[in-house]
Amino acid sequence: MYSLGIDVGSVSTNLVLLDNNNNVVEKLYVRTKGRPMEAVQLVFAEIQKKYDDRQIYSVGTTGSGRMIASIQTGADIVKNEITAHAVAAIQTERDVKTVLEIGGQDSKIIIIRDGVVTDFAMNTVCAAGTGSFLDRQAERLGIPIEEFGDHALKATVPVRIAGRCAVFAESDMIHKQQLGYNTCDIIAGLCDALVRNYLSNVAKGKDILPKVIFQGGVAANSGIHRAFEKALNMPVLIPEHYDVMGAVGAAILAREKVSREKTKTHFKGFSISASSFKSKSFVCSDCSNQCEVVSVLENQQPVGYFGDRCGKYNRFSASATGIAMH
Amino acid sequence: MKITIPHMGNVYIAVKILFDGLGIDYVIPPLNNKEALSLGSKYSPEEICLPLKLMIGNYIAGIKSGADTILLVGSCGPCRFGEYSELQLKILEYLEYNVDFIVIDAVKSIGMRELFNRIQIVGSESKKRFPGKINSVIRAYNAMCILDEIESQAHFKAGYEKNKGECKRLLNSCKSEVLSCNQPDKALKILKEYQKRIKNIAVDYSKNPIKVAIIGEIYTVIEPFTNLFIEDVLMDMSVSTKRNLTPSWWLKDMLLKIIKLNSMKLLKASNEFLPLYIGGHARECVGEAVLASREGFDGAIQIFPMGCMPEIVSKAILPTISREKKLPMLSLIVDEMTGEAGYMTRIEAFIDLLERRREHVFAGN
Repeated sequence: MYSLGIDVGSVSTNLVLLDNNNNVVEKLYVRTKGRPMEAVQLVFAEIQKKYDDRQIYSVGTTGSGRMIASIQTGADIVKNEITAHAVAAIQTERDVKTVLEIGGQDSKIIIIRDGVVTDFAMNTVCAAGTGSFLDRQAERLGIPIEEFGDHALKATVPVRIAGRCAVFAESDMIHKQQLGYNTCDIIAGLCDALVRNYLSNVAKGKDILPKVIFQGGVAANSGIHRAFEKALNMPVLIPEHYDVMGAVGAAILAREKVSREKTKTHFKGFSISASSFKSKSFVCSDCSNQCEVVSVLENQQPVGYFGDRCGKYNRFSASATGIAMH
Repeated sequence: MKITIPHMGNVYIAVKILFDGLGIDYVIPPLNNKEALSLGSKYSPEEICLPLKLMIGNYIAGIKSGADTILLVGSCGPCRFGEYSELQLKILEYLEYNVDFIVIDAVKSIGMRELFNRIQIVGSESKKRFPGKINSVIRAYNAMCILDEIESQAHFKAGYEKNKGECKRLLNSCKSEVLSCNQPDKALKILKEYQKRIKNIAVDYSKNPIKVAIIGEIYTVIEPFTNLFIEDVLMDMSVSTKRNLTPSWWLKDMLLKIIKLNSMKLLKASNEFLPLYIGGHARECVGEAVLASREGFDGAIQIFPMGCMPEIVSKAILPTISREKKLPMLSLIVDEMTGEAGYMTRIEAFIDLLERRREHVFAGN
């Protein structure tokens, strides 16, 4: 029996299937492109070719689109990204003490001691250094994002880039380009600047001890990886499935929950890839809270609501913010 | 004279009972919502803390419904709250609203005589005789205390309730029922009835829910709109919460301050880490964190508005308390730019952290 994990992030939607021993047997990675429901349907259509519904033991969703994905798929557990990433990291490296995670639009640090999360932080003010910013810079420099990191490794003298803010980092890069600096040196400088920014904002005041794991989409960038190792002065490990760790964590948690509660999965089946999903939002004016309520329609039938504070619309539970606690 | 007030949690309910009793004309602005926030942010200085902006939104809504006088408590305090009334007066003047401000300030700052003068302005509007007025004030005060008690019971029992969601439903129906009642005596009766009901709610004390203390800046912990309804969120997650700062606590604290007998337990608890009064409720925040660890709470969540001076100091002290007392803490900073997704993710992850940490301790590690 497999456990299915889905991570609907701002930039990518990932799906993994774990076997009974929590090994990744299947992983899919597609771009979300601002349409989370279509992305989930897309990966389902793909996975449906090889597996059928009865092989699924449990389903977990995570990422910023976790709510909508859980309504769509009938997930057994809906978990935030921080917990999901931590669980996956502990599963991969038992003695991990620090997790650096940089995704499409947010970056986090998770401090773990003796296999338990003791502290965490997430970027609040600036998205410099996250995947979408790097994407944009790669595009601007005309370099495919996959090769972006390798360019940084070719640098001889990294240029110093002001990385406090994404917008200023960009103008500083343009400025350095106009001055005629070598592209590789600029990219290496950018990687250094972004790591500096991360360490002084997100990781401020956190005790970074080895083993350090680096995961999330940006871990593919060897330039950032090297900059981290240089700045921290310790080896930084990149797990094999660094790009889908959130989904792995969600799948592990889903399996734990279903086996602990001895229930059957709520999974609605891969056939939802053929349904027509729509979401509608409206402002409820029944009281002065004026909640923006979102309803998800499957084949014109409402299957779930979230966003209402009083729980009037939410059929799953009286939820305040749409954190459905099944 | 038609009086309006700014919102802070359930204070409006007590104010309504007070003015209904005194027979004074009043307008309660709509509860804090996006409209109040966007209006307030538009007309307030960008760097000022969130409460001021929301209050401006409340005033404008009140004035549009016919209010000509604004009643506000003040503190002449050593945080920016002390300058709220002056700044708000300026803003409303600039917007060409013709309103009077009555600021009920601390005795220490304006003196007993001036305080009575100001109360007199409001009091003279009432046609009631003196004993009747006193009666109304006491009734409103009682209502505030009972309401705070109901709320804190509901928040704490949410972790123990047998029927999930009952505490929250009871709390919500209590508020809406008491608000729709215009007779102060009847309103108080409704409150007392709910007090009994919440006391007798079916609970299972063998449950061992996660217990979290809500600490931080008084306005943002009390006013649910500013903290994105954190207490409701935690109730939904079956987490027991305790919050020491309430409107009735504030009132008691202000009165007892005159004879320097206020919040002794809290201040004593804060001595180890912050023995000085630095303004706002920073000492209370530190003291509450220490007490939370003594009382066996699993963690504490600190909430304060962006740029709050006293709470920034306590935020810097909390990690030390966290390390020494082994109490995990989460600081949440709120303002009009707060993104809901990241905020909720943090709260959820923090509760997960507490749960997993506890399992780990029970497992004997």
